[in-house]
Amino acid sequence: MPGVSDAQRDEILALLALIRARYGARLDPAALAEIEHAVAASVAAAHALRQVRLDNADGPSPSFVPFRAEP
Amino acid sequence: MTPAPFQPVRELAALVRTRQVSPVELATACLERLERLGPRYNAVVTLTPERALAAARRAEAEVAAGRYRGPLHGIPYGAKDLLAVAGYPTTWGAAPLRSQAFDVDATAIRRLDEAGAVLCAKLAMVELAGGMGYRQPRAAFTGPGVNPWSDAAWSGGSSSGSGSAVGAGLVPFALGSETWGSILSPAACCGVCGLRPTYGRVSRHGAMALSWTLDKIGPLGLTADDLGLVLDAIAGPDPADPTASARAFRYEAEDGGRRFRFGVLRGATDGAEDEVKQRFTEALAVLETLGSVEEVALPDLPWETAIRTILQVEAQSALEDLVESGRIGELTAPEDRVLPHARDAILARDYVKALRVRGVMQREADRVLAGLDALVAPGRVAVAPPIDREFRSVLGGAARDLMGAVGNGAGLPAVAVPSGVGARELPTSLQFMGRAWEENTILAAARAYQARTGWHRRHPPGAAS
Repeated sequence: MPGVSDAQRDEILALLALIRARYGARLDPAALAEIEHAVAASVAAAHALRQVRLDNADGPSPSFVPFRAEP
Repeated sequence: MTPAPFQPVRELAALVRTRQVSPVELATACLERLERLGPRYNAVVTLTPERALAAARRAEAEVAAGRYRGPLHGIPYGAKDLLAVAGYPTTWGAAPLRSQAFDVDATAIRRLDEAGAVLCAKLAMVELAGGMGYRQPRAAFTGPGVNPWSDAAWSGGSSSGSGSAVGAGLVPFALGSETWGSILSPAACCGVCGLRPTYGRVSRHGAMALSWTLDKIGPLGLTADDLGLVLDAIAGPDPADPTASARAFRYEAEDGGRRFRFGVLRGATDGAEDEVKQRFTEALAVLETLGSVEEVALPDLPWETAIRTILQVEAQSALEDLVESGRIGELTAPEDRVLPHARDAILARDYVKALRVRGVMQREADRVLAGLDALVAPGRVAVAPPIDREFRSVLGGAARDLMGAVGNGAGLPAVAVPSGVGARELPTSLQFMGRAWEENTILAAARAYQARTGWHRRHPPGAAS
């Protein structure tokens, strides 16, 4: 995993273990290699998102809307 | 009178209303073209001749009796095969769902029925609306979408058949859907017009869900004016879809020759092909005759990353039955059989963070757009990709899509129209993106552009013959 920090590598390996546990029986080595790239991309994306500083009041969009059946 | 292909809805409507063309003749001609030429473009999943001819006969009788419903009355169209139509399969473009069927019509289909339009075909699409991470055109059980301008080029996706059927003159308009790029991309690739409405403008009841907070239904057609006519028919609230807005929409076809204020997002052409940049520069020169053009900027935040995270997590949940059951192993594209497994690794915390970044994006996009009528940019940074290569291997394949991320992430409307000829003699495109609920403004701008250019009247030679 060139260009990946130790922390990110540990995170990628932990998440890969989760995927192996769930789907390992149907994934061959080539598929697992593809998935490792995809997980690495997801971890990089997560780290980019975590760098964004938001205020406590910056809630998710779309916001939650209470439901009431009509009428 | 035998109707010719490539006649806009507005012109066909005048012929139907004055009984110079019969809706049955129109439907018969479109069915014949779809059956004969649809396979050339891999554009059709299912023809609907019984339903089409019944609707056309009904329209003909109503027009003859003086009960003209409006500009879509008796006009044929096709619909992306993720919209449910009772009595026919609805495959979502996916081999494991070839025989899937629903017993209701999608709301958009029902509304077009009420307007008198005539459904002739369910059109091909990238499997599961492209939500599994496909990386090349061979990602549909109907085969790769073939571009009407070149059989060596892709038609774009995921509304592949909607783009090629309109671009090849098989139908005057079609319905597509967009989560991120799936209307604007095939419109741009095929040299036609496409409208991505504001999120919530059109009910999604009866449509495949890929991403509940990103999916939109919209039309592809030959002119911006035609897109407005179709949106007028399909927009509006729907008790069956709580995300459909209660805001009314009426298409305004006249704008009184107004002046426009256009913005160009800094970075909007980064990574674009040279010919695309040249056509965009030429388009800006036309737009300067319609108003002003200025450069604007958004804060540098990971917009694409946030929207991609939201899309992947929602798609993984929406299609979890296919993933969990292993039936994704029956999909056409090899990468679609594998990549979804990786999405289990996206953490809840990061999904919610992406939704929070999206809130900032909405406010920033609206701040920029508040002083403008539209942001303009190339519809795609490259012409249609080769049909036999991975997207990332061609120029523009790895370019950012800031307009697509911000437009879809913030739920903003955009219209794409043809803007010239690019590499390999393939069409280029120009997009206008507006504030939420400003479809009339961006359609007015697109109409004004089309009134000064003739690119929308240029069609692939021999495509419909």
